[in-house]
Amino acid sequence: MTEPTLAAPLPGADDILAEADGFVLRVRVANEQGLHARPAAKLAQEAQKFACDIQMRQDGGEAVDAKSILDILTMAAGQGSELELRAAGPDAAQALGRLGELFRNRFR
Amino acid sequence: MATLKGIPVSAGISIGRAFFLNRSGAGPLPRQTLPEALVAPEVARLERAFEQFAQEIEQARERIPADLREHALIIDSHLMILKDPKLAGVAKRYIQTLGINAEWALDKAVADLEKAFEALDDQYFRDRIQDVRTVSGRVQARLAGQTAEIRAIESRVVLMAHDVSPADTASLETDKIMALVTVQGGKTSHTGILARTLGIPAVVGVTELEREVRDGDLVVVDGLRGVVVLSPAEEELARLSDLKYQFEAYQAGIMRGCHLPGETIDGYRLKVKANIEMLEEVPTVVNNGGEGIGLYRTEYSYMNRAKLPTEEELYQEYLDLATIMSPRRVTLRTLDAGADKFVSTLGSLDERNPALGLRAIRLCMHHPDIFKTQLRAMLRASVAGNISVMFPMISGLREIRQAKAMLAEARAELRQEGHRFNADLPVGIMMELPSAVMIAEILAREVDFFSIGTNDLIQYSLGIDRTNRFVSHMYQPLHPAVVRSIKHVVDAAHQAGIEVSLCGEMASDPFCVPILMGMQIDCISLTPQAIPGIKRIIRQATMDDCKNLLKLVLESPSVTRTNALVQETIFRQFPDELMFYSSLLDREESPAH
Repeated sequence: MTEPTLAAPLPGADDILAEADGFVLRVRVANEQGLHARPAAKLAQEAQKFACDIQMRQDGGEAVDAKSILDILTMAAGQGSELELRAAGPDAAQALGRLGELFRNRFR
Repeated sequence: MATLKGIPVSAGISIGRAFFLNRSGAGPLPRQTLPEALVAPEVARLERAFEQFAQEIEQARERIPADLREHALIIDSHLMILKDPKLAGVAKRYIQTLGINAEWALDKAVADLEKAFEALDDQYFRDRIQDVRTVSGRVQARLAGQTAEIRAIESRVVLMAHDVSPADTASLETDKIMALVTVQGGKTSHTGILARTLGIPAVVGVTELEREVRDGDLVVVDGLRGVVVLSPAEEELARLSDLKYQFEAYQAGIMRGCHLPGETIDGYRLKVKANIEMLEEVPTVVNNGGEGIGLYRTEYSYMNRAKLPTEEELYQEYLDLATIMSPRRVTLRTLDAGADKFVSTLGSLDERNPALGLRAIRLCMHHPDIFKTQLRAMLRASVAGNISVMFPMISGLREIRQAKAMLAEARAELRQEGHRFNADLPVGIMMELPSAVMIAEILAREVDFFSIGTNDLIQYSLGIDRTNRFVSHMYQPLHPAVVRSIKHVVDAAHQAGIEVSLCGEMASDPFCVPILMGMQIDCISLTPQAIPGIKRIIRQATMDDCKNLLKLVLESPSVTRTNALVQETIFRQFPDELMFYSSLLDREESPAH
């Protein structure tokens, strides 16, 4: 019996990759409701604490500003969605570490 | 005297003076292009309006009373929107690049967002634009120099508004509000939730409100019919205030009696259960005297998500439900949806006629892995409480046998894996297709119970899509063909010695329930809010009257005759119970042109 949903391993700090123009982290939306208003607010709030520029992208979608709750909501990311976070700037790695943690803890 | 129509979202009647919390802002939005020198001051004016509103929201948050705590979360998201670069930032940029005034720039920024949100597939996310509109509306009001001071209310008032935001809610002195009326909003709007929490009537979507009503006008808010009566004449006022007291007495009366069993004067017992789709509804079921869950719609956990729910998630959900409701019976209906309606992972099918397509049990047999996961979760949860399972949209014997074979497979797997479950889990089917009705005697030998789903049965029997306005007037629960179908199913069930229940909207209709009782149906299952009123009707009925009514209905050759006859009989038998229900004949609207 296979479960329809197999949990992909959740990202740890090790998963943050350095690229020429900044850092990249792939995350999975694990919380049940997806990026609804509350998780989206929390995510934007945290992102705003960092100076670097942080973009998020859903597969095939456009990149949006992680500091904008409205941008995040327009991704309509449900549970299980895979997202790519990209950050560029002085505290980019740190920012991705913190945001990755939020996803891991299901925004609790 | 004038009457304004809207959507009723909280029951009750209030009579009082109008007090406007806010208006939409007089006239059209001012649109100006600015000389270079005024651009910087205009940006500052915009920023000030945003800041002012942010401060007001923050102050409002401090004042939220404990019982309205859930609104604080909405306030937080409003605050985030207010500070969002995509709203304030974009509006600011429009002032700078296009040299337009702040109102216009903000309106353009909102229009951009509207476009982005409208494109979303998911209803929840699409609806978030409402929050953006509310927030920007308040900023527009500040740009226009208006500020509402809600704490200035001195005596109890009927609160009127273009829209009530959660921030307003927090600053309301709720004991001073006797009713709520808004221009915006729909059936599920925030205003309705608030009004029901406060126990006051509310009508939303009253488009004419701002034009017709002034502060201080005497108004009657009728949250039963969804109307606002302006400057009522003395007689009308007297009639409405009588109605108000009658409603309050009626409401108190039905709530007092709702925990008594559903039993007629002459001792015939009818179980009254609830239809629900979320665990959160259980308290209402219990408070309103529900004797079990006659229909648990399991679709909710499958919707609005990218991946299917796991067996573990479903197991936990069903286990919680069974445990809270124990020892009362909980009937879980397996997934009843078309491929269009849920789980984006299945992809969309190109179906010309989805109502006759791959849905409900057919969809489950098409995706055996999804079906079995759900059956395993249901079986595992059956160790607790009192669970039964039913299959939707059964058309014949083969589907029952296939579904039961799948259940047997799930049992065997669980046994092998060492999971416990109730080996005698009762299994039933929904009777909602005319084919199943015709062979009810055959199907009755295969299952432990029937549940008649009249909403679909009526549609499929009469060939009517009730959401199609050209034919919806022909959707008639008491059509002779429908009444005979139900009677046939009840008789077949009883001959086979199995229980039969009915879970469509007919179960909450006081004009239909006595007819069903005449058939000696065992159980009805309905929306929890309607249970107290229906129970009271059952407790004032006699089986003799119900059987006589059924006899007349079965002899009637047409639905028009039936409706007239039922209406006359029911009004005569329950003169005090029907004041708050719309009559059968009112529902026979003429077809749309």
